[in-house]
Amino acid sequence: MRVVIAVVLREGLTRLLADRGHEVSAAVGDAEALLAQVRAHRPDAVIADIRMPPSHTDEGLRAAETIRREFPSVGVLVFSQYIETRYTSRLLESGAGGVGYLLKDRVGNVGEFVAALERVAAGGTALDPEVVSMLLRRPDPGLASLTGREREVLGLMAEGRSNAGIAAALVLSEGAVEKHIASIFGKLALESSAGDNRRVLAVLRYLGASA
Amino acid sequence: MDGIRRVVSGVVRAPFTRRAWRELLYCTAGAIAGVAGFFLVLFTLAPALFISASVLGTVVGLLIIVAVLIMARRLGALHRLLLRRCIGYRVTAPAPFQRGEGVLGRLDRRLRDRDGWRAVGYAELKLPVAIIQGWAVVAVGMGLADISYPLVWLLFRHRPAGTRLGPLIAVTPVPDIQVAIDTLPGTLLAVVLGAASVLAGVWLARAIVIADRRLARALLGPSRVSELERTRAIAVEDAAAALRRVERDLHDGAQVRLAAVAMNVGMAQDKTGDAAVRELLDAAQAGLSEALADLRRIARGIHPPVLDTGLADALESLAASSPIPATVRADVARRPSPAIETIGYFCVAELLANAIKHSSANRIEINIDTYKPDVLRLRVGDDGRGGADPSRGTGLAGLAQRVSTVDGSMSVSSPAGGPTSVTVELPIRMTGRGA
Repeated sequence: MRVVIAVVLREGLTRLLADRGHEVSAAVGDAEALLAQVRAHRPDAVIADIRMPPSHTDEGLRAAETIRREFPSVGVLVFSQYIETRYTSRLLESGAGGVGYLLKDRVGNVGEFVAALERVAAGGTALDPEVVSMLLRRPDPGLASLTGREREVLGLMAEGRSNAGIAAALVLSEGAVEKHIASIFGKLALESSAGDNRRVLAVLRYLGASA
Repeated sequence: MDGIRRVVSGVVRAPFTRRAWRELLYCTAGAIAGVAGFFLVLFTLAPALFISASVLGTVVGLLIIVAVLIMARRLGALHRLLLRRCIGYRVTAPAPFQRGEGVLGRLDRRLRDRDGWRAVGYAELKLPVAIIQGWAVVAVGMGLADISYPLVWLLFRHRPAGTRLGPLIAVTPVPDIQVAIDTLPGTLLAVVLGAASVLAGVWLARAIVIADRRLARALLGPSRVSELERTRAIAVEDAAAALRRVERDLHDGAQVRLAAVAMNVGMAQDKTGDAAVRELLDAAQAGLSEALADLRRIARGIHPPVLDTGLADALESLAASSPIPATVRADVARRPSPAIETIGYFCVAELLANAIKHSSANRIEINIDTYKPDVLRLRVGDDGRGGADPSRGTGLAGLAQRVSTVDGSMSVSSPAGGPTSVTVELPIRMTGRGA
């Protein structure tokens, strides 16, 4: 996988990704250079800090929105010291797949971090557990009827994990996870229909409440 | 004896100093400008006040008053210029006028222009001062004329004997004192009178200039209140900027370093095969996570980063984490200054926390708008049980106090049984209102 990164932790991250067999095509320090490199390299994924020079506000997020619009095939993983729900919804408004929003701390768990990046590059989502838990605090009539286990499953779904991933995380069988998911779809009144990914719909409807 | 001699010689020599002539120059210009300014202001302000008191003329009257205030500020500038140019006395100009927003806002700001009204006061109080200044100049002028009489007599009164000429009249600035002179030795009396008149004029000029300086400094300089308002605004904005800097330094410094350490520890965890080392690294990683979470919480308390993209975004993020459904409606046409945004944010955060803790509400509504000119209005309402009382408990009272440090206001409506609505109004930016 080829990655363009625009983060403060450039050197370390380059080494980390190289260790895991990924190629960092370019490592830059600001949003303008990031866009130029994405245009030049057409990478599989981008990792960008939200705050970048010159104004240190939300340049990275704006660059991410631009990349999502111009290069829908490039996965964008946004990286920040903070989780802001407003940023989450802005990111998700730019398209449901191929985006991620993680706290910088998550690089500490190399395996999960690289897995999240790979998921984003493959068109999936990777939301920080903080985002999910923040959203889970929101009362929602559909959500209120979910059991604790179902909330956990939905949370992991929102993070972007597969059934197998959820099963591993909760130490359940995949069959049990599937049952929980079916129950969630029922409670959130998501009818099965061809072409619609109910999994994404469930998460989106749920995250959309904050947008 | 020596002391008296020095004083007398000082008094007598005064007319021969540069300072005296500069003061006389100032008195001449100041008297003309002062009398003209007095009538200009009086003849526009008086009818304007009269007109604005009537029902139909209110608008016209108010507009004329605004014109008078603008004119008075200009006149004040002219007087400051005269003081500086003629006698080298500097009066600091008051802060420039801050225009309001919208027609009413602009009118309101103008009518409350404290420095403008002070300039009007100067223009009106200047009349007696200007008259005395003019009189001092006249006294010196007349005195000089009197002193020239012996010369005049010798030059123009050299007539054959028996020619009858009217007497020369020695004038003094006191209208009743005039002396008719019809002999050459008599002109010496005129010289004495003239010298006295010049001396009196010079010293009168000095005294009135000192009085005028005081008046100008009190009314044409920055007022104590606007000065305090201005410096307080600077202090508040500085404090907000300092907090932002601290947050930014944390963000770009300690937080980045810790994240880098976390990354290295992560890579080490990944590579080690030794279970004991792994355990230690796991503990290190957990500690780093906690440290980063602590830093995040501290930084958020100092300056929530999402505020950088605007108050509406920040409040939406805040509302999104509320366990009671909270909606944000924002209509902010003009972005408040950073300090006001920060204060507004923490006000809403606290009101929201109060509502969550005490109201047992089902819904919370957060409204922010700038419908009133120059005012940022924040309202947090809930449909809970009410009974919030600013006089009991420190939360609301402390909030009111904090709001008042920027000339904001807070009103609470919370009857027992609800609903509760707390409205906070903040100036959109910190400036002296009168400035």
